[in-house]
Amino acid sequence: MSGPVLTVNQIGKSFKNKQIIKDISFEVNKGEIMAILGPNGAGKSTAIRSIMGILHPDEGTVKFHGHSTGSIPRHRIGYLPEERGLYKKVSIMDILLYFAELKDYPVKKAKERALAYLKKLGLEGKEKSSIEELSKGMGQKVQFIASIIHEPDLLILDEPFSGLDPVSQELIKSEIKELANKGTAILLSAHQMNVVEELCDRLLMIHRGQKVISGTMEEVKAQYANYKCVIRGNNEESIFARLPQVQRVEQSGELATLYLEANIQPSTWLKRLPEEIQIKELTVSRISLHEIFIDIATDKKILGEGEKSA
Amino acid sequence: MRNSMKVAKWEYKKNMKNKSFIISLLITPLIFIIFSSLPSFMDMFKSESDPVKVYIQDEMNMWESVEETLLSQGIEWEIQEAETDESGMKKIIKNTENTAYISFSKNLMEQGKLTVYTNEEIDKDFEKQVNVMVQPLRDLQIENLHLSQQEKDIINQGITIDAVSLSKDVGEVKGDPLKRLIPGVFAGIILFSIVMTGMMIFQSASNEKKEKVAEIVLSSVDSSELMQGKIIGYFALGITQVLAWILVIVPYFMWKSEFPILEYLLVPETILLVFIAVLGYLLFAAIFAGIGATFEDMDQTSNFQGIVFLLPWLPAVLYSPVISDPEGIIAQAGSYFPLTSPGVLIMRLSVLESWPWIEISISIIILLISIWLFMKLAGKIFKIGILMYGKNATPKEILKWLRY
Repeated sequence: MSGPVLTVNQIGKSFKNKQIIKDISFEVNKGEIMAILGPNGAGKSTAIRSIMGILHPDEGTVKFHGHSTGSIPRHRIGYLPEERGLYKKVSIMDILLYFAELKDYPVKKAKERALAYLKKLGLEGKEKSSIEELSKGMGQKVQFIASIIHEPDLLILDEPFSGLDPVSQELIKSEIKELANKGTAILLSAHQMNVVEELCDRLLMIHRGQKVISGTMEEVKAQYANYKCVIRGNNEESIFARLPQVQRVEQSGELATLYLEANIQPSTWLKRLPEEIQIKELTVSRISLHEIFIDIATDKKILGEGEKSA
Repeated sequence: MRNSMKVAKWEYKKNMKNKSFIISLLITPLIFIIFSSLPSFMDMFKSESDPVKVYIQDEMNMWESVEETLLSQGIEWEIQEAETDESGMKKIIKNTENTAYISFSKNLMEQGKLTVYTNEEIDKDFEKQVNVMVQPLRDLQIENLHLSQQEKDIINQGITIDAVSLSKDVGEVKGDPLKRLIPGVFAGIILFSIVMTGMMIFQSASNEKKEKVAEIVLSSVDSSELMQGKIIGYFALGITQVLAWILVIVPYFMWKSEFPILEYLLVPETILLVFIAVLGYLLFAAIFAGIGATFEDMDQTSNFQGIVFLLPWLPAVLYSPVISDPEGIIAQAGSYFPLTSPGVLIMRLSVLESWPWIEISISIIILLISIWLFMKLAGKIFKIGILMYGKNATPKEILKWLRY
């Protein structure tokens, strides 16, 4: 990994006096996969569209390194928007070559790449078919190829996995990894937290248009993914409420989930459990990215306010 | 501009590969040819009616020269010498279908009158065919007068009336009306064709929304380049259509008739008229692009966007007053109103002998300003509209976008 390809600095955008995103800053480095996360309506697509110049941010700057300020090097960027489709009645090869031409990519090379990628993604022999002859998933794969046909330096993928079956998800995931390994800077937004945990080097989580978490995956986990203890047994909720270093308790029948404070040593904390607690089963694990996401999306505030703004 | 040309090339190629466009491209001139040659084609199938049996009484030995002319015109009668005198022949004719009796008597030369008796039931073309005899009979009549060649020529020349009205501009006289009409009709066809293909911009912008491909395209080109590309692309398609018409229809026309159509078309006036047609296209193309981008569901024909399809037909409403009085107030007003200006100008200039250059200049300036303004407004609507998925924009929304 090396220097930044894209720097977004304090961008903000409002519609009808409603602030959609505010003070969003991040960088995407060469060969890095950066995730932009958040619940529906958090402002992810607005941030991405502002980067692409499809929307103009009211404030802040977007800098593409190695290119003059103010201009968007469109031919060096690959973009897969959230709302996407392709010309239905045109052959796949024609569509891919058109997108390559729009990016000033040589036709001959584009044709070779298109055929190679179609083969790689299980669409061999479909180059003359039209989109309307393909399944939705196949169409999604063609859209993905269209976004990378011109070997972009920066690839922006808005919800690349939506609508894909697990097999296709795996295929696209490995392609994204391969592209990053070859040096492409990748910015993606996704809802599938397990995929993000597995795929991304860094993340930015936004909620109601503002940054809530950012950092490398390790940093985020160390900083935000506190431990949780799940106990199965016939216990009153009040017993858990009295326990030290417990932020919040969720109880459903015999199952109680105790969300623990940060910087806890699980072994020490476990020793302090009172003997009257009935334990049929007990597990201690870190809160997953998925839970952090749910926590933010539903405003449960597992995380302390101080931590959120860190 | 480079990106616009790429988009234009794409739109052109996409349609040229579209079977229905190709079919309409070829079928339109073919339909024209089929319809124009239908009457003569039908004649081929007309049941061969029996030739009229014509009884000839040729006291003056005229039939030989008359028959020569008739045959040269492809008229073939079944000729038989009169069997009896006039009253006897009348009886025969009266009782026999498809028969006629002609008597070339002495009176014919003196009185200049030839009586042709026919049966009630006779080939309907016979009356026309009989008239062919006038010229050879007249020639014989003159011949009998024993005039000098010069005198014969003078008589043959006859009298023609040439109505010449002097216009206000001294010395300018009315000439051949076709001189202006033919370039005008040609420009009108171009305007019609490119505006018709221009309507496809509407569909193209609307489909790009429907198929959600606009945002992908806009990651490579900006919205004004996309709009320009569409306008140029569909202009090229319209011109291709006109060329297809010209390539098929003009040679056919030249082959079928001796009318020197190219002489009438290859004049400087054509350039101005075609220029006006192109301006008309640009104006409507901007409207179609802008409104098309607000429109996702083509099936909702009841909404206001459908009205834009009627706009190019506005000059047709003014056809009658403009043609009957090309210098009247309606014609003038129509030339200054941008939506009717191209059509009305072409109509007026097709029939006006002396062109009102000041009016033409003002109209073209208004048209150019309108195109600039419409392109700007359409660009604003296009930019927001093309990315608004899921519904058609309301007039209120469109007005709001214009204020951005």
